[in-house]
Amino acid sequence: MGRGGAGVNLHSKSAESAGTLSRGPGRLLIAVYGVFALAATARAAFQIATKFSEAPLAYTLTAFAALVYVFATVSLSRSGRRWYRLSVAAVGIELVGVLTIGTLSVVDPVLFPADTVWSVYGRGYGFVPLILPVLGLWWLYRHRRTVPT
Amino acid sequence: MVVDGFFIAGTVVCLVSTLICVGAAVIRQPPNDVTILTVAAVELFLLVYAVAGIVRQVGGETVTGELWEFWGYLLTALLVPVGAFWWAILERSRWSNLVLGAVGLTIFVMLYRMEQIWDGAVPA
Repeated sequence: MGRGGAGVNLHSKSAESAGTLSRGPGRLLIAVYGVFALAATARAAFQIATKFSEAPLAYTLTAFAALVYVFATVSLSRSGRRWYRLSVAAVGIELVGVLTIGTLSVVDPVLFPADTVWSVYGRGYGFVPLILPVLGLWWLYRHRRTVPT
Repeated sequence: MVVDGFFIAGTVVCLVSTLICVGAAVIRQPPNDVTILTVAAVELFLLVYAVAGIVRQVGGETVTGELWEFWGYLLTALLVPVGAFWWAILERSRWSNLVLGAVGLTIFVMLYRMEQIWDGAVPA
């Protein structure tokens, strides 16, 4: 359970099969991603099933956000270079998404009702949707050299 | 939303579980019997809440909000402690205790929503 970058390097050999990203703090990160994957998927399903016509664009975006969370949860918990790159892409899209939708929802509240995951930078979810991709990218950046090829 | 006994009991169980698990993580303990048992207590509360929900509905009480949304939340909530337990014991580090601590927090939020749905309160 290396806490610093050096510790992780020391353990990277033995951790190859387990995947360095899902160790230590990474376990908590992935767990929170899992919770958001679950919450966003359920919310998207509910919104699309009951009130899709009210705001089709916003609820389609909730479904997209749900897909990104589900994908990020899976890719972060896998080991290897390929999954690492896919994680960077997924978490990057998530950050761009929350910033774009967050800004748009402030500028034009009618376009994005308050109850989508990324509205007002995820205010309805304690701003966790804004913090999560930043932590995710930081975690990925820290492990840029320790991920097995 | 009406604050009833279920909400108070659930809040206490979730809060105690989260505090003990986070506390264990702070003093660098891997998951042990105590932290795992507090998560089991959260699961037990949810089972009691589910059985009570069935009994109350059979007894004539109605869910003011969407019935299937209430049960969707409850069935999902029942999976959360189990999933967190599985994910936490795969690596026995202090971080796993934070994963277990996240259960209480998550279930508290879900319980809050379930109580809102039961009473028909409009979500913010």
